[in-house]
Amino acid sequence: MSDLSSGAVLAFSVILLGIGLFGLLTRRNFILVLIAIEVAMNAAILNFVAFGAFLGNGPGASGLSGQAIAVVLVGLAATEVAVGLAIVLALNRARGSINVGEATALKL
Amino acid sequence: MSLELVAFILLAGVAVVTGLLALLVRELVHTILWVAVFFVDLALVYFLLSAPFLGVLQLGVYAGAVTILLLFGVMVTRKRIFFREAATGIGPIPLGLALGVIVLLATVATTLPTTSGTVHAYAVTDLSVLLFGSDGGWLVLLGLSMMGALAGAIYLVREGRE
Repeated sequence: MSDLSSGAVLAFSVILLGIGLFGLLTRRNFILVLIAIEVAMNAAILNFVAFGAFLGNGPGASGLSGQAIAVVLVGLAATEVAVGLAIVLALNRARGSINVGEATALKL
Repeated sequence: MSLELVAFILLAGVAVVTGLLALLVRELVHTILWVAVFFVDLALVYFLLSAPFLGVLQLGVYAGAVTILLLFGVMVTRKRIFFREAATGIGPIPLGLALGVIVLLATVATTLPTTSGTVHAYAVTDLSVLLFGSDGGWLVLLGLSMMGALAGAIYLVREGRE
């Protein structure tokens, strides 16, 4: 019998979200901003997996629904990283740097 | 203090430390290395939470594809190898805002309820029945959104822009 409680896993997920928000708000390199977004998304995916692990087969969805949602979310997050990197390449070609302060106009 | 709790505390500590290091080091290639360790560590957490399929998916997609994508992004957009990025010069207002958000989240984290500490064990076959049965529509939608993102990314980086 283990004493790994759901509160511990959720607290870890909240701390990861805080780290992702810190990186998103304070970094000026576009790729570091993308990495911070990925950290925050992994926190949300961990949240789904934790709820799937600690809530059994209840009356609503089964406990595996959390893992099914997490599978779809992992795919979506990877897709978003790919599109973000395409934006980084386009911005680098237009401005010559990947400083987020340079992206001030709506048109590249 | 069971073995699962000890393992989880170790993995969580490593994840928090490597996540912070990934965002604070000045060499971008070192950031990519720390990010790879972070994703592998999260995959181990998923194995601990009885989600082995998701753990392997995290290893393949995140520690594999996303890390290499970020590395290619770093390689294409830098001026020479191991070019040290300039100090970011964090202003006081964004830093204060970020610290306020972290403190708020930490206080929320201490008031979370702790339910019973049993991690249910699942079979991967049940997950596949769910994913390709009743949740199959979401998987098809994910594939369609990935195709749209591929088309958008190719359009964004095409040659012939002015």
